[in-house]
Amino acid sequence: MRFNTDRVLAIARRQAYVLQRAPQRWFDVVVWPVVDAVLFGAIGVYFGRQHGAAATTAAFLLAGIILFHVVFQAEVSVATGFLEETWSRNLLNLMVTPLSELEYGAGVALFGLVKLAIGVSVVSLVALALFAFEITSLGFALIPLVAVLLFVGWAVALVVIGLILRLGQGAEIMTWGFIALLLPLSGIFYPVNALPGALQPVAKVMPTTHVFAAAQEVVRGHPLPWGEVGIAAGSALVVAILAVFYLTRMLATFRKRGYISRHV
Amino acid sequence: MSESPEPVREPVLQTPVPLAPVLQARGLVKEYKRVRAVDGIDLRVDAGERVALLGPNGAGKTTTLLMLLGVITPDAGEIEIVGKHLPHDRSEAMEQVGFAAGYLPLPERLKVDEFLVLFGRLYGIPDPAPAAALALERFGIADLARAMGNELSSGQRTLVGIIKATLHRPRLLVLDEPTASLDPDVARRVRNGLERLCAEEGTALLVTSHNMVEVERLCDRVVFVSGGRVVADGTASEVATRFGRDDLEGVFLHLADAENAEEQAS
Repeated sequence: MRFNTDRVLAIARRQAYVLQRAPQRWFDVVVWPVVDAVLFGAIGVYFGRQHGAAATTAAFLLAGIILFHVVFQAEVSVATGFLEETWSRNLLNLMVTPLSELEYGAGVALFGLVKLAIGVSVVSLVALALFAFEITSLGFALIPLVAVLLFVGWAVALVVIGLILRLGQGAEIMTWGFIALLLPLSGIFYPVNALPGALQPVAKVMPTTHVFAAAQEVVRGHPLPWGEVGIAAGSALVVAILAVFYLTRMLATFRKRGYISRHV
Repeated sequence: MSESPEPVREPVLQTPVPLAPVLQARGLVKEYKRVRAVDGIDLRVDAGERVALLGPNGAGKTTTLLMLLGVITPDAGEIEIVGKHLPHDRSEAMEQVGFAAGYLPLPERLKVDEFLVLFGRLYGIPDPAPAAALALERFGIADLARAMGNELSSGQRTLVGIIKATLHRPRLLVLDEPTASLDPDVARRVRNGLERLCAEEGTALLVTSHNMVEVERLCDRVVFVSGGRVVADGTASEVATRFGRDDLEGVFLHLADAENAEEQAS
């Protein structure tokens, strides 16, 4: 199968037009990041003051929410990129072109990186401007952590796309629903042992849990725990393989059962 | 110096060269739950040929088209487009195919020229903008280039869809109900444009339509489908004669009545 970069760039440009002309799409990349930064920064300052550690507590929460926005933006940008084709009934037009699934995914993910950069920059800038928290203070530890979160975000997006192919547009709620499940289970703002006992084993198998555990160590001033990063990367790889397998199956089902009729 | 005599030229016998099939489908079957939508359809379209796929609603036309385009996987059968087998070589095959449907809108948030350039690139045209501008000019809608897709009338959308489908000069053009929303004047312009395209470029045309008069004017051959099977294949007059009707509309109504009667009986 040939991989054509012109097609990838064409899809990325199409996504850019959508963001440029659909004001509601800016909600995910600007409004949510601002809301989250203000909310968690303020909570951190308030609870921190009670224990005389406002800056540390705010930093703990803000590092968590900024990193959460990496996985959130990565997932939402790819999933809504695909949803845009179903909303504008463009799926059939695309499916009868030489465009391969891989080229399409690469194009949406490519522009998704732009949206991710905007969203994470917004949340980081608000954290810096209002709470004097600088995410770059985490240093080079950010690179592997962001890489794993990006990978997980894309994997979750593939699962969401698979669900939309299988169940139709009604499954679009999972674009935001799946990622909301990660929020409490990943121990973003607290250690996993703060979760109810029954949920702790679930949290421990999730790659995001180990990313946030590693990030919390760095925020406390400790070196990056590479063991946690290794577990996160390994489990992210497993999640990605399962996501690709699931999407492939759902695409085959979509073609076999003629579900394109739901989108014309 | 004496002139040498002109060599005697043997008359060259023009033996008819068999046309290569652009599309060949054999034994296509598609079943949805307990309904067999397509039941062993064979279809061949040669280069430059204009073929109509006709039949009442639910006859299996659109399912057949979508299988030919690789969007629906057949339960059985083989599809070959310009020598490429589906589904394995779908991407290469689709480089030679254009598709437009009267019922498809233009994607929102794209201007007409952006839409054409996007799809031109997807079909492998390195710089599609000049070709898009020329095509808009040819169809007399150059003034719509900067209009948003959702601002167009249904007729204008159909024209833009057909331009999109022909921009990369495909060997096979598949049109599903292309003129359903067009007034007679625009429909005639589309028909003339398609005839010219097929004659000049050798493009093969496979079209579905419920407008039998238009089909008789445009197509060399008609394939009637009923109950998921091919029930007639020939020129319009051959098919009409075979069913003892005056024209294609008579054949269509006859088949629709037969399907309705069968449904009521079951």
